Amino acid sequence: MDPVPEVRLAADRFATSRTTLVVDRFMTWFIKVGGLAIIVAVFGIFVFILLQILPLFQGAKVGEDRIVQAPAGATVGFGIDEWGEMPFVAYRDGSVFFAGAAAPVSMGLPASAVVTSSSYNVYDQRLTLGTDSGALSIATIAYDPKYDSHSKRTLDVSARTSTPMQLGSPGFPLLSVAYAEAGDERLAAAVQEADGRHHVWVAVLESSGGLSESAELTLGERIDLAPQLPGKPERVLIDNRAESVIVTTATGSVCYFYRHDGAYEKRQFFIPFDDQVDRRVASMDFLLGDVSLVLTNPAGCNRIFSLHHRDGGDIRTFGQTKELAPLPAGAETFAVSTRNKAYVVSAGSTVSLRYGTTAHVRWERDLGYRVRAAVMNSKYDHLAFLDDRNAIHLRSLDDPHPEAGFQALFGKVWYEGASAPRFEWQSSGGSDDFEPKLSMINLLVGTLKGTLYAMLFAVPIAVLGAMYTAEFMHPRFRAVVKPTVEIMASLPSVVLGFLAAQWLAPLIEMRVPSVLMITLLVPAAAFLLGWIWSRLPMSMRSRIRPGYEFIAFVPVLFAVCWLGWMLGPVLEALVFTVPDPNGSGRIADFRRWWPAVTGCSFEQRNSLVVGFMMGFAVIPIIFTIAEDALSNVPKALRSGSLALGASRWQTAYSIVLPTASAGIFSALMIGLGRAIGETMIVVMATGNTPILDMNIFNGMRTLSANIAVELPEASEGGTLYRTLFLGAMLLFGMTFIINTVAELLRQHLREKYRTV
Amino acid sequence: MSAQLPKTKGIHHTKGEPLVWLTAMGLTIGLVMVASLLLVIISQGVGVFWPKRVTRFVLPDESGKRIEVDGVVVKRQLKTAEAGKAPIEEIQIYTGNREVYSLAFRYLDVHRITSESLPADALLIERLENGNAIGTPISLKTGSSTGLPAEDPSFRSGLAKAIEEASARRSAIDHLEKHVIGRNAAEISELEVRAKSAAPDRQQALEADIATLKTRYQELAAEAKRLRKVQNEQSLEYRLASGETRTVAIGSIIDHHYPNQLGFLSRFGRFCENLWNFVSERPREANTEGGIFPAIFGTFVMTLLMSLLVAPFGVLAAIYLREYAKQGPIVRMVRIAVNNLAGVPSIVFGVFGLGFFVYFVGGSIDRAFFSQCLPNPTVGTGGIGWAAMTLALMTLPVVIVATEEAVVAVPRGAREGSLACGASKWQTIQRIVLPAAVPGILTGMILAMARGAGEVAPLMLVGVVKLAPSLPLDLEYPFFHLNQKFMHLGFHIYDLGFQSPDSEAARPMVFATTLFLILLVIVLNLGAILLRERLRRRFATAAF
Repeated sequence: MDPVPEVRLAADRFATSRTTLVVDRFMTWFIKVGGLAIIVAVFGIFVFILLQILPLFQGAKVGEDRIVQAPAGATVGFGIDEWGEMPFVAYRDGSVFFAGAAAPVSMGLPASAVVTSSSYNVYDQRLTLGTDSGALSIATIAYDPKYDSHSKRTLDVSARTSTPMQLGSPGFPLLSVAYAEAGDERLAAAVQEADGRHHVWVAVLESSGGLSESAELTLGERIDLAPQLPGKPERVLIDNRAESVIVTTATGSVCYFYRHDGAYEKRQFFIPFDDQVDRRVASMDFLLGDVSLVLTNPAGCNRIFSLHHRDGGDIRTFGQTKELAPLPAGAETFAVSTRNKAYVVSAGSTVSLRYGTTAHVRWERDLGYRVRAAVMNSKYDHLAFLDDRNAIHLRSLDDPHPEAGFQALFGKVWYEGASAPRFEWQSSGGSDDFEPKLSMINLLVGTLKGTLYAMLFAVPIAVLGAMYTAEFMHPRFRAVVKPTVEIMASLPSVVLGFLAAQWLAPLIEMRVPSVLMITLLVPAAAFLLGWIWSRLPMSMRSRIRPGYEFIAFVPVLFAVCWLGWMLGPVLEALVFTVPDPNGSGRIADFRRWWPAVTGCSFEQRNSLVVGFMMGFAVIPIIFTIAEDALSNVPKALRSGSLALGASRWQTAYSIVLPTASAGIFSALMIGLGRAIGETMIVVMATGNTPILDMNIFNGMRTLSANIAVELPEASEGGTLYRTLFLGAMLLFGMTFIINTVAELLRQHLREKYRTV
Repeated sequence: MSAQLPKTKGIHHTKGEPLVWLTAMGLTIGLVMVASLLLVIISQGVGVFWPKRVTRFVLPDESGKRIEVDGVVVKRQLKTAEAGKAPIEEIQIYTGNREVYSLAFRYLDVHRITSESLPADALLIERLENGNAIGTPISLKTGSSTGLPAEDPSFRSGLAKAIEEASARRSAIDHLEKHVIGRNAAEISELEVRAKSAAPDRQQALEADIATLKTRYQELAAEAKRLRKVQNEQSLEYRLASGETRTVAIGSIIDHHYPNQLGFLSRFGRFCENLWNFVSERPREANTEGGIFPAIFGTFVMTLLMSLLVAPFGVLAAIYLREYAKQGPIVRMVRIAVNNLAGVPSIVFGVFGLGFFVYFVGGSIDRAFFSQCLPNPTVGTGGIGWAAMTLALMTLPVVIVATEEAVVAVPRGAREGSLACGASKWQTIQRIVLPAAVPGILTGMILAMARGAGEVAPLMLVGVVKLAPSLPLDLEYPFFHLNQKFMHLGFHIYDLGFQSPDSEAARPMVFATTLFLILLVIVLNLGAILLRERLRRRFATAAF
């Protein structure tokens, strides 16, 4: 083989310069990474919002045990401070041990006294004690925070009691005690067994000498409620308004007494576990707000009874509202949250954290030791358990959104005070024991309502208009009509909303019958005009060239609108009349007629106004896309139809419309997507009341308006904040799905046109 | 069978003509609605600036006593009468003098008015506080002296001169208090910081400087005080229609005119002046008076910022999708998804902006760099920067889609020609594709700007406020305040129309603002449409 001669194939001047190659390689890399990153980042929105709402659906997280050993001895009370740092244990001998302290301290009871029963209020740090001699004493546990220079907190603890008051018969122990303060009202109750007879003592406590610190309590007249009871009393409760006294009996009945003008009216007597094998009541305690009773029976059945107006009665009585998952046995301990409707119950070694409103078990665990007592601090971030060897187990609690969950957000919930489970949205309220009601259903219904009325108005106008523009209109107008409609699409929604609320709503309010007339008259006039026109002699018809009809219709439209406007009051006088309340005769007033006939309310800012303005915002979108779909139908189809002798309407209706139907449907979907997310019009033109009906003459609250109204005030990371994110997610999901379907339809249509 | 020939009639009609008319109705309603809506806004908005006559109404009050009231007729309407009675016609008049009548508007029943006249010497006074006053001038007082009576021929020129001088003094005071004294204070605090860390020998010199500056401050403050005093030395005495006499300090008069003595030309001149003031002034008195300059400026800066953010990202993503990504089902799906993002409600982007930009990013920056200010957020709160980013994200799909379309529309031949000449891929994109696509990209940008300028819902969450104390862009270091809250035309409408304590008084302002916003959006859109038409024509001729 000959050696291959060395040939320089290309001159240097043909070689690509190094810089070009480097720049090209860099730009390729840069654009790929950058473009991909942008697209990933855009879809990160979805992930971010999802991460924000996930905690709503998570249960409670409870930390590991931290054990503090309390001295041995028979215990009678267990409590915890606001910060969950120093739980205390109260003993039968009247001493109290604070976790971390060296030894128990005395509460100041007489040396001979033995505590036999107690009840604990974690909010007021008050321990109500009953002694073996039948006396009642109110102990106050004081946690005094002290801050050093690094603002580190230490707690100064102390405990003191009031002078014992002889509520029961002397010499016999009190078996259950209850005490409540509401302003100047103080009420105490105790269950006692003396000489084989049972008593439920109640008495009003009077405070002698002004201010609370030094005030001594004295016992008022005591009354025995036992004779009114159907059996042996076991446990007594008093609500925080110092009005209701509730007693359970050994046979499983619950008696509800109501204090009124010094007398105790027996309001209700019920057996909460009437349908169970074991009808006895094992435990009964109040939830926060003291209108709901948490009851268990020895078999572990757990129910909640709440005060509400039952069967239309005018007195609130207890009725069952919830049944929770059963416990292994009747509850032995109970701890209530002072922040929300959560509570802790335990049976044996099983502990369960539950939420009353949603009847949801937040956390349940077998702790492996017998739980003698449980408490929850008032910040709802610590739990403490006392076992039978007097060891205090302190655990952190992380449950930021107990009131959320699938049931609360999408299901019917039986809120306290309500007579039935229902969907409700009310995120904030005035009182401390207010519970946020966060049903997404109201907002979804509101969204659909607004969308429905908007579409009812927009679809006929947009689709008919698109049909006319694509099929019948003279081509020379298209260059004007399409940009006009596009400008209509770009009108800021805040402008439309402002006009709806300040101009349209007052205008329509008094003239609903006129609006009704116009809605009926305009299509009728169009149809009639067309009918008459098509039967006129050719010489007259040729005055208006085909494709110019819409201009000819303008004066007719004005005339018909004016006619309808004027005829409205006539119609009102004929049909929409209500009897005059102060006199004979009838008043013609639609605003009164509507509520009188349908029972629904009439508001100035109603769905009609929203439907009209939102329809206005949606029309151009539907119009543009539908018009594109129609005018892109291949010309051959149209020509063929016309050549076979079909009229222009027949061609449009039977050939073009079916071919473009997918495109028109996609236009409707995109219009729907826009109506669902429309915010400012709804915020401004409705009353934003989250109601759950389809009445056209009242308002609604949509998901988007709800976000706009409430998010600026929602605290970051709170339940409301996350719920609003959930609303945004729903909006995102709905519109994304609707738009995707529409887009796929359109692509399908494009393929179809290509093959035709 | 024999086919029957159709009978020839005198009148021949085609099938479905009435339905054609029905479709025509659809279009007509749509067009008429747009037209009437624009007409309502334009008539109400423009009317605000047109100076109107002041009418004196004489009518009996409830007790039958004769009263006179001056006012500008706002509208006539039918009042909802009591049940069963015919509606009554009433007029709404603007009486001004809010501090006297407690409301600036009043309704009069037409049938009770006994006489109407146009008082020739009615004077409309624009004041710094309490809106306008309408009255008949009595005299121009200096101190407590009787001063110059209105009958005096030199009264008018004297009043005009006094008000002009007061305006000049007002801007002098403004300049003095805001800038000169402000700079002085800044210098003092800077020197004080330096004095703390300076060496002892330098300290003395610095302290001397501080002392000089402080003396200077005293002088300036005294000067400002003196000017303020001068402002109140002269006052205008005027009589209301009810006969009550009132005075207003010349210093608090912004402008004045005799509405019933204006000819058409001078009215037009005043119209232009009003318009200019509206565009160039700051709002006063809870936004119900004054202008909307900060809102215009805020909208402008925010939209500009948004465009600067969205343009590179949008173009980059679009070029990646069209030129670099392997075309296949995945890219097709990504494209559909990006397209659909344009249809996601704006409020969702607002929610994201608040959660991610403001609380997450802003909050993290605060914890890292501004922890000494916590718990008061420095950047972890709404601001113009976050708002622009949020809207940029919202309009990103619009720009991506428009750029993609423009890039696709570049003829294949041009691209291939470039590659055949040996250009690299990037060179082809840089020199051939992008220049040809620029009009398309611009169209997308303009549409994005129009959307951004008109959007309110997301802004409500990420930093728009009803009244911003200062502009986001000014002469104070660091000149561009990204963390500053700002005003926005759209939110201004919402706020004035719905949150204003005196919504009746704010109404003209809302309509005028609305007109402005609409004009802005329409101009942007028209620009986009025209650009698109030009683009179409260009590619139509450039087809291979």
